[in-house]
Amino acid sequence: MDLQTILDAIALGALYALVGVGVALVFGVMRLVNFAHGELITAGAYALMLANGWPDWASIIVCFATVVALALLLERIAFRRLRGAAPATMLVATFAVSFLLQSIALLKFGPQGNNVSVLPGLNRAFELGGVHVRWVTLVSIAVTAALLAGTALFLGRTSVGLQMRAAAIDFRAARLLGVRTNRVISLAFVLGALMAGCVSVLVVVQTPFVSPSFGASILIPALIGVVVGGIDRLATATLGAFSVGFATSALGDVLSSSHRVYLDSYVFLLVILVLLVRPSGLYAPFRRTTVERV
Amino acid sequence: MPESAMIELHELEVRYGAVPAVRGLSLEVRRGVVVGLIGPNGAGKSTTLLAIMGAVSPRQGDIRLAGRSIRGRDTDAISRSGVALVPEGRHVFASLSVEENLRLGLVGRRSRDGVDEDLEWIHGLFPVVQEARSRVAGELSGGQQQQLAIARALLARPDVLLLDEPSLGLAPTIVETVFEALARIRERGVTVLLVEQRAQVTVAFADRTYVLSNGELRATLTPRDAGDTQRLVAAYFA
Amino acid sequence: MRVPSGVLQLAAPALLLVAVGIVGGRASPSVQIDFETALVLAAIVISLYCFVGNSGVISFGHVSFVALGAFAAGVTTIPRESKQFTLPDLFPFLQRTELSNVESLLLGAGLGGLLALVVGAALMRLSGLAAGIATFAVLGITHNVLLFWTRIGPGANTLSLVPESTDMLQATLGALIAAAVAFGYGRSRSGRLLRASREDPAAAQATGTHIYRHRLWAFTISGALAGFAGALLVHQLGSITTEQVYLELTFLTLAMLVIGGASSLLGAVVGALLVSGLDSYLGRAENGVHLLSVNVDLPEGSRLVVLGALMALVLLFRPTGITGGREFSLPLAALRRRAMLGR
Repeated sequence: MDLQTILDAIALGALYALVGVGVALVFGVMRLVNFAHGELITAGAYALMLANGWPDWASIIVCFATVVALALLLERIAFRRLRGAAPATMLVATFAVSFLLQSIALLKFGPQGNNVSVLPGLNRAFELGGVHVRWVTLVSIAVTAALLAGTALFLGRTSVGLQMRAAAIDFRAARLLGVRTNRVISLAFVLGALMAGCVSVLVVVQTPFVSPSFGASILIPALIGVVVGGIDRLATATLGAFSVGFATSALGDVLSSSHRVYLDSYVFLLVILVLLVRPSGLYAPFRRTTVERV
Repeated sequence: MPESAMIELHELEVRYGAVPAVRGLSLEVRRGVVVGLIGPNGAGKSTTLLAIMGAVSPRQGDIRLAGRSIRGRDTDAISRSGVALVPEGRHVFASLSVEENLRLGLVGRRSRDGVDEDLEWIHGLFPVVQEARSRVAGELSGGQQQQLAIARALLARPDVLLLDEPSLGLAPTIVETVFEALARIRERGVTVLLVEQRAQVTVAFADRTYVLSNGELRATLTPRDAGDTQRLVAAYFA
Repeated sequence: MRVPSGVLQLAAPALLLVAVGIVGGRASPSVQIDFETALVLAAIVISLYCFVGNSGVISFGHVSFVALGAFAAGVTTIPRESKQFTLPDLFPFLQRTELSNVESLLLGAGLGGLLALVVGAALMRLSGLAAGIATFAVLGITHNVLLFWTRIGPGANTLSLVPESTDMLQATLGALIAAAVAFGYGRSRSGRLLRASREDPAAAQATGTHIYRHRLWAFTISGALAGFAGALLVHQLGSITTEQVYLELTFLTLAMLVIGGASSLLGAVVGALLVSGLDSYLGRAENGVHLLSVNVDLPEGSRLVVLGALMALVLLFRPTGITGGREFSLPLAALRRRAMLGR
């Protein structure tokens, strides 16, 4: 593997990691796996499309505003009702919301997809150690590193971050101590949405084309990565998502062209093999029982 | 003097599905006193505390805090208006450090003033909390966790402290430490509602003790009754 | 005379399926298709119920078994002479094979069960939530392979000229067989232990129940049923593409199960039939119809919006589904009990 392959793999892994953190933050405080997180990403891309022709900074602001507003709206009108429901119910419910949003996008924008463009200059390459590297590759890695570090600082060093961690460990106990749980949950959704917005922008830069399944096609492999890593801890969830992204990009470079169409299969097969060897999760330190904690 | 009542329950009724847990319970806890709540398992003691915290919703009746109804308010709002519960089973955050657990006590506090003084006082009550402050709470013994849970509740500087079986499963020396701490908490003027299984100790310690059975109030005891084993037993199985 | 209550739990959904078959058989040919579709979808939803209802774990991967069953049954029943032209890249043994209708149904069931067993062996070790999400990987693999591997199927093209052997009778019988197998599993020792573990995983493990083994067993049986239902489906449609057995069908069948009530066979059947009826109506409305004295002309794609909204609303307001997860029981029995107590 050359430097370029590795950098590309890290960049895709970084994007998946951003999706993974967003999902895992919400899962932490609510035990809810949000399939509609993919549609947040889609909404961001459509917002960029609708703001076409505006200055880049303005369309990026529109993108973030749309994603955050949609996340808060979903939390308020749908997910808040699901608190305390059985995990399976929550899972299907967010799947339904995700499907509903995709259908609405299909109805509104059609199945063919639309062109969209933002920050096209980031696709230019520069030379690094004898290989050509696109700017967007570096920006993806840098943005992700900054956001992950920011999240870690926020959770570790601030009072609200501490409250969020407490709510993730024992929701009722946190509530009894006066933690404003509605606010903490909304905040988790907002943080996840900000990361989803970053993913929208970074993916649109590279593939300037949006369709109703834009976000789902990123969410599903990332989510599988989250599960493989271990969904109940933020670090393992993020690492898991990163690993699937890294493997996808690296395998894509390694496979011969006749096998490249089966890239998804190879990645998912790898996932299943990993789960055979490590059923408790790729990054889980140890496991006492197979019984769920929730 | 109704204005001196800190907590008033009026005809409180709580059900879990079709099963009544508390039926028509009325009682009053005056400002600055310690009130005990004893009774057999399933008598509705814990449910009463959870109802005060808004963690279970009553079907009927009213709950008043310093004269104002708090029924139907959110748990976190109640906790931020001066009521702190040390729940049964302690519920410390096992993977957080002792210090972080304490800091979470500050969330329910109404004023930022005097935190250092309070902390010093709390460390005096429970030296172990200070000694273990950088350890992970899950590593502490049960007794240490109980002390941490009470310390955490006190850091919210509550007007009312609700304790749910603080002595459950603790070694006798730790029980002693806890009750000594409760005595000093009382001296500070904090109103205490103490749910316990240890009837004799509780009746002797509390200014007044209510006996609950089957979700109903059965008897009211004073410290003078503590020595009267017969009366205690009779009240318990009434 | 006492009827075991268990028989009623099978009889109610079975009678419902038979009724749909009989009513459908008398309907006009254009509407008959909708009834057949409803029955085949019921078979798929029953297969899903067999796993989800007993284990409490959501599976997003069942449509991969449906897809495998459908393409296997389709490819092996197309007449040899037409395969040479429509599917030139097929492996020679697939080119030569020409199975009967029943053989192809059994093949679908066998392959569905086999795939479920193999992937289940890895995935069923996970906790419930993770297992459910990881089944997406199976769907991804199946779809990806079917879409590109022209040695086993049509790839991105339509598989056509499949004998349309699923008539109303076969659809009804197929759904009944699926219901009987799912019912039988639910009554078996494994099924009962698995349901107990769903209520309380910790207690089940404490009493020595191997959740993994029973989950895998349920997954395999329901995978076989799904493969069987896929074979029914391809024989009903006559032609199929990989997109028809992918995300939309996954959503549709999950919606049916959840709307009906995921924890009972009756719920699975009622949900499948009702949602299928609504789906057919909306599908027609997209093309503009005059139905129930209202002129309806919905824009293309609104069918999915309505179904998505319906499923979300049921989940938010009535998470146990319209049957509330109950099996059918005669109100008479309850009345009699009350009367006896009164005496």
